[in-house]
Amino acid sequence: MAQKVTVFNFGTCAKCFDATLLLPADNGYELKRALEPSKWVPSPIDVAVITGYLLPKDKVLVEKIAKNAKLVIAFGSCAATGGPFGLACARGTKVTPARDMVEAIDVHGCVGEWFELHQVIKGNQPDRAKLCDACKRRSTCKFLSEVVRQIDPSQDDESCFNDRGFMCNGYVARQCKEKCIDVATPCRACKPLVDHPGIRMLSMFGTLMANVEVGTEATGGIAGTDKLADAPDDVTRSVPDVSGAFFRFSLPVEMPIGKLPSTGSILSDVFTGRPLEELPLLAGMLGGRRAISMVLDIIEAYENGTGIEINDIVKGYRNKLREIEAQMQSVTKAGDAAWYGSAADAIRKIAGNMNLSNIFFGGFKTPIKDEQAPFDEYKSKIIEFKKGTYQAGRVKYAIDAEGKVNEFSWRP
Amino acid sequence: MSEKAEPKKRNVVVFACNECGQGAMNTAGVARMGYDAAIKIVPLQCSGQASPLMIMDALKNGADAVGVIGCCIGACHFVNGNMLSMHRIKLLKKLFKEMGYSDQQINHYTARAAEGETAVGDFEDIIARLKQAENKAGTLPKEW
Repeated sequence: MAQKVTVFNFGTCAKCFDATLLLPADNGYELKRALEPSKWVPSPIDVAVITGYLLPKDKVLVEKIAKNAKLVIAFGSCAATGGPFGLACARGTKVTPARDMVEAIDVHGCVGEWFELHQVIKGNQPDRAKLCDACKRRSTCKFLSEVVRQIDPSQDDESCFNDRGFMCNGYVARQCKEKCIDVATPCRACKPLVDHPGIRMLSMFGTLMANVEVGTEATGGIAGTDKLADAPDDVTRSVPDVSGAFFRFSLPVEMPIGKLPSTGSILSDVFTGRPLEELPLLAGMLGGRRAISMVLDIIEAYENGTGIEINDIVKGYRNKLREIEAQMQSVTKAGDAAWYGSAADAIRKIAGNMNLSNIFFGGFKTPIKDEQAPFDEYKSKIIEFKKGTYQAGRVKYAIDAEGKVNEFSWRP
Repeated sequence: MSEKAEPKKRNVVVFACNECGQGAMNTAGVARMGYDAAIKIVPLQCSGQASPLMIMDALKNGADAVGVIGCCIGACHFVNGNMLSMHRIKLLKKLFKEMGYSDQQINHYTARAAEGETAVGDFEDIIARLKQAENKAGTLPKEW
């Protein structure tokens, strides 16, 4: 008898929900998709697949779903651990993992991988191979004397990002399909290999930074010794955003709810405090069906504001991506799996993966397949941070002199 | 005379290295130096073993503050364990600030085995900073 599987979409990003379209048609399931779970009419099902981030207000609905289902699967990083939306926890938003509400099996990944979901539904364990085993770069784990925020990836594709002082969380990650590392983007561990990936990666990178100057001061008191100083030093300057870098997908699981004041919307809570060079990838992760325009708006806002010139090749690819996105709005709603599959392939060809890791300021990080022009013509640029407010399309944001976002708004 | 308020019962975990950290504490003990009863000492081989995972575990399971005491700078008996620990705690402190909490709940100190006062001075500083954390930005909640 066919297994009754229903996929539910929570939150504002529907990428994992759309990815379930690719579940093979001849899989022996009776697949239903609930884009708006609040309108779902309860009926007994075998497997409930929860996608998207959950808030405390969703608890009643999730419990109702779990009551009607034999098995609940939290599909994608948002449902499993809060995902990138979980960064809003620092500003008081209680993004809640599904397993804190009901008994659920986690299938990690940003975007969640349909093949892994398929395996779990069939009762198998997902593959737990290490990401570093699949990486062409090699790590020596030598102590760093300097940490960099941007690198030119084409200069050296054999040394580990961490060896070059460019933070990559691959040490604590499992292998995935999106593989940001293949498009010159450091991993942020959407598929964790270990428990507490964030705090462990913080330990690992803190250790690697051994030769970076750390500030100390005299204790004073009855017998003076030295202690760790409170003032900012090279260590804090090297990692401008600890929560966003190490805890991109696990903040609600590893830390308590933060006490910073909320900026009003979950999206601006997530983006505020993040460094500029991380914005394109972050937007690519959580922009959902509008990810492409969100990433390109963020990039073009800064390019226009600071006078970074781009050529026709880059413009052509960007227009092509925007076209695919416009078509996607209608087709995914109708649930055309074949079209979605080919559109996803077209996006991957240009942007590297569904998180759009290949897109950066000034161009692309790695060569695009079948492009005849030399890579240097459309290669991304290393940007300098200029304090100011930048706006393009639906996006408006302000950055400080350190390159950190202090205001962000996005008009849906 | 007005009644004194019941002093707050605190729980402070101090990870101390086997060399200078515990050495200074032993010297303080031999010299009968007093220190706050809230201090609970957890011996480690080197302060470099005090990982952020252990620190967070302590805070999650009832510690109000965590201090790590190692050898003096340049005098670590395991090459540079004290410096590694300082780097990690500095990042952890930044994380606490980014979440809106006080970063005074966790600290890294050094001590000299021959001088018990250094360990007692560190303990006093840990308590003073914990009080400061409670009064200002606030400490991490007890349960999460």
